[in-house]
Amino acid sequence: MATIEMSNMKKRYPNGADVIRDVSLSIAEGEFMVLVGPSGCGKTTLLRMIAGLEDITGGDLMIGDRRVNDVSPKDRDIAMVFQNYALYPHMSVRDNIGFALKLRKTDDGEIKRKVEEAAELLGLTPYLDTKPRQLSGGQRQRVAMGRAIVREPSVFLMDEPLSNLDAKLRVKMRSEILKIQRRLGVATVYVTHDQTEAMTMGDRVAVLSKGDILQCDTPQNLYDHPVDQFVASFIGSPSINMYSAQLSEGAKFLNIGGESVELTDVAHISHPSLASYANSRITVGIRPEDLELVDKGTPNSITATVELVEALGSELLVHFNTDAKAVVVEGVKDEEETILEASGAGVARIEPRASVKAGDIIGLRPNPAVMHFFDVNTELAIY
Amino acid sequence: MAVVEVADEAKVDPSAKQKPKVNKQFRDRNQIMLARLGWRFTTPALVIVGAITIFPVVFSIVLSLSNVNITGNGFQLQGFTFSNYSLLIHSSEWRYSLGFTVFYTFVSVFIEVVLGTAFAVLMERLSKGRGPMMALLLLPWSIITVISAELWQYVYQGTYGVLQYLINSVGFGKPVILGTPTPAIIAMMAADIWKTTPFVSVIVLAGLVMLPSDVFEAASVDGCTPWQSFWKITFPLLRPTLSIAVLFRILQAFGVFDLPFVLTSGGPGTSTTSLAILGYKVMFDNLQFGPGSAVAVSATLLVLIGCLAFLRAFRTQVNGGDL
Ligand SMILES: Nc1ncnc2c1ncn2[C@@H]1O[C@H](COP(=O)(O)OP(=O)(O)OP(=O)(O)O)[C@@H](O)[C@H]1O
Ligand SMILES: [Mg+2]
Repeated sequence: MATIEMSNMKKRYPNGADVIRDVSLSIAEGEFMVLVGPSGCGKTTLLRMIAGLEDITGGDLMIGDRRVNDVSPKDRDIAMVFQNYALYPHMSVRDNIGFALKLRKTDDGEIKRKVEEAAELLGLTPYLDTKPRQLSGGQRQRVAMGRAIVREPSVFLMDEPLSNLDAKLRVKMRSEILKIQRRLGVATVYVTHDQTEAMTMGDRVAVLSKGDILQCDTPQNLYDHPVDQFVASFIGSPSINMYSAQLSEGAKFLNIGGESVELTDVAHISHPSLASYANSRITVGIRPEDLELVDKGTPNSITATVELVEALGSELLVHFNTDAKAVVVEGVKDEEETILEASGAGVARIEPRASVKAGDIIGLRPNPAVMHFFDVNTELAIY
Repeated sequence: MAVVEVADEAKVDPSAKQKPKVNKQFRDRNQIMLARLGWRFTTPALVIVGAITIFPVVFSIVLSLSNVNITGNGFQLQGFTFSNYSLLIHSSEWRYSLGFTVFYTFVSVFIEVVLGTAFAVLMERLSKGRGPMMALLLLPWSIITVISAELWQYVYQGTYGVLQYLINSVGFGKPVILGTPTPAIIAMMAADIWKTTPFVSVIVLAGLVMLPSDVFEAASVDGCTPWQSFWKITFPLLRPTLSIAVLFRILQAFGVFDLPFVLTSGGPGTSTTSLAILGYKVMFDNLQFGPGSAVAVSATLLVLIGCLAFLRAFRTQVNGGDL
């Protein structure tokens, strides 16, 4: 058991790419830290730096009270689940899982017991004597997990360990991983693309973009108080609706597209700095669940045309279009996704039995108490 | 003749194999037609190969099983006999040659594989300059053996040899290297190892480069020292490559001819007479075509059996079936 302390860590690849720019992060003993960020933001690189598989070009890395910048991977007492499994192709599942224990000269009976326990937990018991190439992607991923958990190391590093599992197994494995992690009390760094995974698993979540940590906080705080547009739109699914807007009559009204929404006192109390943006242009962010379905023309509502209704049983996702100008944050979503979205598009999450269908013209009333405001230039949140 | 037979058999084969899959008749017919077309295209090549390889082989077998009589204008085959082979088995010369060839093959191939693998592992670590290094290493391999054997003469020779001079200058007298059995055998193996280690290196290096790097990272995280990582990961993953290198080398080394021919002519006495040298001597020095062919055929059979046994023992590795 140990803490992980990164201070001003940097990584520059030999080709000159600054992949990790300046990362400082401390992970407490037993803490489950999730790293999220879009593809290519440096998550794997950061994890590999902690593991010792990648040189650290600047800053310090402490595991426990030891500076490990120059310690080789085998002496860092870490267990890692690789993004592409990296199983030993010539060993059976049993030997793969037990390999690290064998290297430590653990007693054979003990290895057998631990391996079988892990296999049971991961549903791998029938495959113990097969070779990795005979397994499916999901099974291989579980073997990779098994290899890590039998170790009882001081640090767990996991690089998208659930990405190849089907939805149901993923949910089950999420809780299994958490249970194991809680039981062992091992500081864990868990990389994922999937923000649901991040929100449900992390004690804290660090949002990474282009080699910098933008924000690191508890999942709820990230959701409620994002520091900037990037975090706001990265966290939450479906993602937040963001529009260009204009404050008018000081900061009493917010004009979104052609519509005007009154900002109640609640909004001002929770965002005191908003006053200094009186009569200026800002970006407003409204989460899909903070839009209420009302009749078209209701005061303080936005008029929208329904494009598509997704019925999820517990809720309706209403995809709509407005004449407001949507603000798209670069790099959050894949390019194709961004192209598909017309300017002014948005999503509302409403109660399941409302009668809306594609083509309807509806009113959507945002809740001013939970709106997010951003500076148009710095893209930072205004509180 | 033999060629035609082979072709016929293979022509029948694809259709026979696919008979059970009745529902795919159309595809099967297509495949048969493709197979026929394939045979048509390859037949000229097969005929040539047959003429220059299969004919001599078959003819050697025939010779080895016949009473051969030398006459004024060539030789005559006079009836079928096993006497050529029984002659071999009862000849101490043949048994010595066999022993020498097997010993020579085992020892030199073993050393070559160990050294070659070591070089390959070292070269893989070189991130820069691997190309020039490889070219340098391949130099011995690229020299025709007869010529490199002549070069080794300069090293081992009794009157002007470099090695003898060196040993003498350190004060160990003037050993007769190629004229004493044990040193001659060692000298010959050294020349062989010098020449073919690079070959093994290149094959093993090709295998090494193909190994997945993340597996080694996983091993280092799991706590492997570089030494453990070699024996527990690299070596097992390299086994298919190593088996192929070994197979090639066994086949070559077992037929060793040019080195003893140039360096010692099989001497001193018969101490470096390999099976190939023995066959040559019997056939062309003594003009005993029957026994000579029997030497050649038996050598071929023995190495075939050896290789099959090796393949069987390492079957999974060679197929990569273990991966
Ligand atoms: N060896 C390398 N040399 C140069 N650049 C590299 C190297 N490895 C990775 N990169 C670059 O570093 C960036 C971050 O890569 P990394 O693998 O850490 O991303 P990631 O966040 O894990 O992405 P993903 O979610 O797709 O796995 C990428 O832009 C990649 O092109
Ligand atoms: Mg990655």
